[in-house]
Amino acid sequence: MTTRRVKGIGELPRDIPPARDLWPAIAEAIQADLAMKAVPDSRRRVGWWPAVGLAASVALVAVGVFIGQNLLQPDEPQALARMQPLAPASDAGTVKASLRQAQYDNQRKQLWAEVQAKLNTMPPAEREKVGKSLAALKQSIQEIQDALGHDPANALLQELLVSTSQEEMRVLTTVRDSGRQEL
Amino acid sequence: MKADTVVDFDVALIERARKGDAKAFERLYREHVGRVHGLCLRMTRNPDTAADCVQDAFIKAWKALPRFEARASFSTWLHRIAVNTVLEKRRGPARAEVSVEDPGEYEEPTMVFDTPVEEEELEAAIESLPQGARDALVLCGLYGYEHQEAASMLGIAVGTCKAQLHRARGLLKDRLERGVR
Repeated sequence: MTTRRVKGIGELPRDIPPARDLWPAIAEAIQADLAMKAVPDSRRRVGWWPAVGLAASVALVAVGVFIGQNLLQPDEPQALARMQPLAPASDAGTVKASLRQAQYDNQRKQLWAEVQAKLNTMPPAEREKVGKSLAALKQSIQEIQDALGHDPANALLQELLVSTSQEEMRVLTTVRDSGRQEL
Repeated sequence: MKADTVVDFDVALIERARKGDAKAFERLYREHVGRVHGLCLRMTRNPDTAADCVQDAFIKAWKALPRFEARASFSTWLHRIAVNTVLEKRRGPARAEVSVEDPGEYEEPTMVFDTPVEEEELEAAIESLPQGARDALVLCGLYGYEHQEAASMLGIAVGTCKAQLHRARGLLKDRLERGVR
């Protein structure tokens, strides 16, 4: 079969209709988008943050189980004992709270550095497992902080942040101290 | 229908679609889908991938409508989204295959043959071109975009776009003369 003859590229048809109607799938996506927009902001937030909480919980359970099975030592880490909740400070206690926050930040930073050094000495499989778990925990904290950015007064999120941060410190300390008894 | 009437018609539909009128957006889709699909098909060379790109592009366009500036051409805006979608779907670097020292030396995008060729043969020859050259030829030679616009859509330098078009023309001429797909 021969087709039309053309003298230049510009004579080719620009429009080529698709073989099938592509609109139904697009319409479906648009309806989903419209339905999403129809949900009030507050309800959307309520629908969204439990997912963050769930992600955090899953990470905590994963790390907890792994540490429990592999690394946990009996003595309570000092860092955890010293750590204070991150509840919002009152006006009178702002300076104190800031100092406490700075102390916590420093301690956390130092622990992460020590744990990183410890990870480098672990066998690859173990390092990967612990590293992944710690990363999940760190990610959970970040997500909770992001959620709090949208809803700073949410008491449940604040509580979740405190407990997750405490858990992170506990896990970091445990990983750092793992194997010391054998030395 | 005159071009400005089409534009006015689009503006009214865009305004309605912006407010969440899916019917208005469907009319925009019906009006533009052929051209968007033609562009995606020629860039991807695969009907299924092209269809996916068209769907994705229109969904992205719907979501981005609030950011669309009414002064701009809806068609160009839509094509930009479509080209971007095609580029996203492609895996692996395939850009900037040709470097160029003096972009000014290359000819204009229009390409006229001494002897008329069969449409099907020409489409096949375009399809056989290397990706970078084909992209430039499709956007500049077929869809009439200036090098600046095409380069911006493709995320390449204007000089590279010109060089790719130059290369495409040479390859196309050669392939048509030899009758090789």
